Amino acid sequence: MKENSRLKAVRAVREELAAVGIDPFGVQIDRIVSPTEGIIDGRPTILAGTNNYLGMTFDPDCIASAREALESAGTGTTGSRMANGSYASHRELELDLARFYGKRDAIVFSTGYQANLGMISALAGPGDTVMIDADSHASIYDGCTLAGANTIRFRHNDADDLAKRMRRLGDGAADALIIVEGVYSMLGDRAPLRDFVRVKQEFGATLLVDEAHSMGVLGKKGQGLAEEDGVLADIDYVVGTFSKSLGNTGGFCVGDSADMDVLRYASRPYVFTASLAPATIAATRTALRKLEAATDLRLRLQANAERLHAGLSALGFRLGAPANAVVAVLVGEKLEALRFWDHLLKNGVYVNLMVPPATPGNESLLRCSVSAAHTPEQIDAICAAFGSWPGVKA
Amino acid sequence: MNHQDVVAQLIELVTPIAEGRVAVITENTGITSELGLDSLRVMDLVVAVEDQFDISVPINALAEVRTVGDFASLIQKSAGENA
Repeated sequence: MKENSRLKAVRAVREELAAVGIDPFGVQIDRIVSPTEGIIDGRPTILAGTNNYLGMTFDPDCIASAREALESAGTGTTGSRMANGSYASHRELELDLARFYGKRDAIVFSTGYQANLGMISALAGPGDTVMIDADSHASIYDGCTLAGANTIRFRHNDADDLAKRMRRLGDGAADALIIVEGVYSMLGDRAPLRDFVRVKQEFGATLLVDEAHSMGVLGKKGQGLAEEDGVLADIDYVVGTFSKSLGNTGGFCVGDSADMDVLRYASRPYVFTASLAPATIAATRTALRKLEAATDLRLRLQANAERLHAGLSALGFRLGAPANAVVAVLVGEKLEALRFWDHLLKNGVYVNLMVPPATPGNESLLRCSVSAAHTPEQIDAICAAFGSWPGVKA
Repeated sequence: MNHQDVVAQLIELVTPIAEGRVAVITENTGITSELGLDSLRVMDLVVAVEDQFDISVPINALAEVRTVGDFASLIQKSAGENA
């Protein structure tokens, strides 16, 4: 068969990795033992790259809910909600989410990725303008592409730069959709959300905030950065995921718009995909109830994050942001980062290797995601593995 | 600002980013095909252009840009819309 020329660049990267003999993007966890432990290449390994912030994946209540739903409602829905019908539990989860955030309504999507695709492409179209942070997640970029809207990037976390670009839109600024994230997944840095709310209000625009990495982590109730900064009521749409703090799969959007029910039908990623399985919905509903009350888990998560951050700082590593559930070690050069990542894995610690163009600043990262389920001993073991690296530290 | 002025300023901006891959950059030089700019460097160029011309360049419009001249035309179009 003829070689697909579009795959040339990806093929080249794969061949480069094969030449080094390390494949960081094809890791197989042979057996998952707990939210923070797995067996990889026959070795017991501490999982520090899973986004399992509250350790919810093995929660007994969530497992019991999933099991009950599996027995009573079967393995899958075998179709989309629009064409094949919703189960009562899909709508119940939406009402749970709306109540949790104090918003008018919610839409559940089949993944967090699809939630961004679905919302952005329903809210904007050709001729409209979407303003996005330069460090936005791929799902936001892809949502803008699907929308076909004019997509303008502003400097990362820079509300003044956003305001400058909004001014250039003139009267059109009021119709613009602004998109930011609560916590950025690569470095773990937070958005200056109050500043962005001020810009949104100055121009009368619409603001969508993706709280994928802050839901369950920040705020007294775990609603995210918007709660912590006291601006939840000023945000038009909050997008989030079930696949991090809630320990499952899926995505959602909550909002106060009277059009929430219209939006779902204008959203191709909602309409043309299979809905979430009953066991997923049931476990997520239980996890959401537990997340709201999980102040103890949030405190433990923060303590673990501070322990890891302090430990790695003491070893001389450059870190991406103040202590947070995402602790990113800046490594710089790609090949060095690759060997460092492999060293960690062989020493029983799994983290995420992130390389440009997925990373900001053209720098490679070793990204750790901390869990409330990590023990202090595991955090110390992660630090020890980093400390055993014989190469350049910063 | 006429097209040739924009091209001249754009060549000044792209020259350090291209790191000497092409000896002489002209209006017809391909930004990715000849200068070899990857997506990150293209974004660096967009930021430099936005600062220089005080405009916002929609990233979706970059799909149509092949050459330095194409980019100059996009800058003129964006400047017109921002004016």
